[in-house]
Amino acid sequence: MEREIFLARVRDYNEAGWRLALINVTTVMPVGAPGHGAAHPATPAPEPAAEAGLPGAGADASADGPGAFEIAWGFARDGQFETIRERIVAGEAVPSVSEFFGAAFLYENEIRELFGIDVTGVGVDLKGQLYKTATKVPFSHAAVKARLAALAAAAPGKRR
Amino acid sequence: MKRTTIPFGPQHPVLPEPIVLDLVLEDEKVVDAIPTIGYIHRGLEMMVERVEYTEMGLVVERICGICSFMHGMGYCVSLESIMNVEVPERARWLRLIWAEISRVQSHLLWLGLGADAFGFENLFMHCWRMREEILDIFEKTTGGRIIHSVNRIGGVKRDISDGELAAILAQLQGLGAAFKETARVFGTDPSIRHRLSGVGVLSTEEARAVDAVGPMARASGIAMDTRLSGTYMYDQIEFEPVVETAGDCLARVLVRLREVEQSIDIIRQAVEKMPKGEGQAIETKVRGLPTGEAFTRLEQPRGEVVYYVKANGTKNLERFRARTPTFANIPAMIKLVKGSDLADVPQIILTIDPCISCTER
Repeated sequence: MEREIFLARVRDYNEAGWRLALINVTTVMPVGAPGHGAAHPATPAPEPAAEAGLPGAGADASADGPGAFEIAWGFARDGQFETIRERIVAGEAVPSVSEFFGAAFLYENEIRELFGIDVTGVGVDLKGQLYKTATKVPFSHAAVKARLAALAAAAPGKRR
Repeated sequence: MKRTTIPFGPQHPVLPEPIVLDLVLEDEKVVDAIPTIGYIHRGLEMMVERVEYTEMGLVVERICGICSFMHGMGYCVSLESIMNVEVPERARWLRLIWAEISRVQSHLLWLGLGADAFGFENLFMHCWRMREEILDIFEKTTGGRIIHSVNRIGGVKRDISDGELAAILAQLQGLGAAFKETARVFGTDPSIRHRLSGVGVLSTEEARAVDAVGPMARASGIAMDTRLSGTYMYDQIEFEPVVETAGDCLARVLVRLREVEQSIDIIRQAVEKMPKGEGQAIETKVRGLPTGEAFTRLEQPRGEVVYYVKANGTKNLERFRARTPTFANIPAMIKLVKGSDLADVPQIILTIDPCISCTER
């Protein structure tokens, strides 16, 4: 999704009285890698999540690709919950939504530190100081791949 | 003016759990606060990689020792949504009752911590003595005082007989009557009012701007409560969100005081409305592997929690995420601390009722 279109949609949620309830990221492993789950095609999201976004055109989770991230910006208003979805290639940056939702900086600092995603224009940049974790960027593709490989080696055939 | 940076935490008398705020001061005024968490980051979300979805609920429950029941419940509700599982009605009522008992327990725990922080040790002991009664109820009905492991995908593991429910309700109503005196002290004691009134004020506009949740938002005049969205059995319960308008530390205490009484009344309504009789189904057997995703929102004692679960048809989930209420309230906490006197920082942080275990997962 174009940056301007994305930010316009976020602004619309803000102006319509929605609040930012969550920014969630899922690490999508390259096809064929452990944990990809490619043998089980994904099904559409059930209620109550109403998808308001579109997958990004540049997403690449092919076998030789760097992997991708699925990002969901979740907005809540009373009993309603909707999301804007985006899929980005590892290494691609996403714009901050701090301009519209003041609390976004915390989620954005978190996804920087835990997933290694570059978020541009974060309202409050905590400069990598938010989390103290034993593994740096624990949800990066390399970290996930290493853990899954170790699990597969430890108990071949047991998992998945 | 010369600036001084003081680390607040990770060990501090008002903090039961570790968080660091680097407080930047000009004289005695806080001009900036930079949070650091991760001292008890356990990577529980990551455990979906090696724990099967049927057992992950037991892990999720261990996110926090106070909201443990509701974490387990949120996880199971998410999986039930993905797998289209119809949970028996009695199990849904039982979950509601345990959830509200959790709220009473959490608020009593927090009120005790608050009393201890502003020097009312006897009040602290009264609150925790009452909390012990709640833990007894949990132990009697689930087998565990802190970790209950009673939720299952498809329902609950244990039933509570009608006779036991009536006895528990009577016990809670007796506790509620005794709690009125404790609540009176919190609400009227001049020392408490002097210490908390007008301190750490979060206006309605500010609360909206930082997306505050739970008692934090309600104390700032926002009538927001996820239970009102009609989820679960709450659509059959009559209640209004407890709202205060002052937005200060005292307002946050008052909201929690009234919510203790409200939860006991919700339990009374649930016991009256749930279908009676022994031998009713409390669990739907679940078979197969989940495929799909779900967002689930619940109202925990500290506010709205959001769970995200993504399953790809294997035994292991692709992603589990819990956005806990304390995480959502950290921006509000930073907002309040900035501009406050250094001496007020402990009260401000405490009245948010921060749960760092929840925040870090």
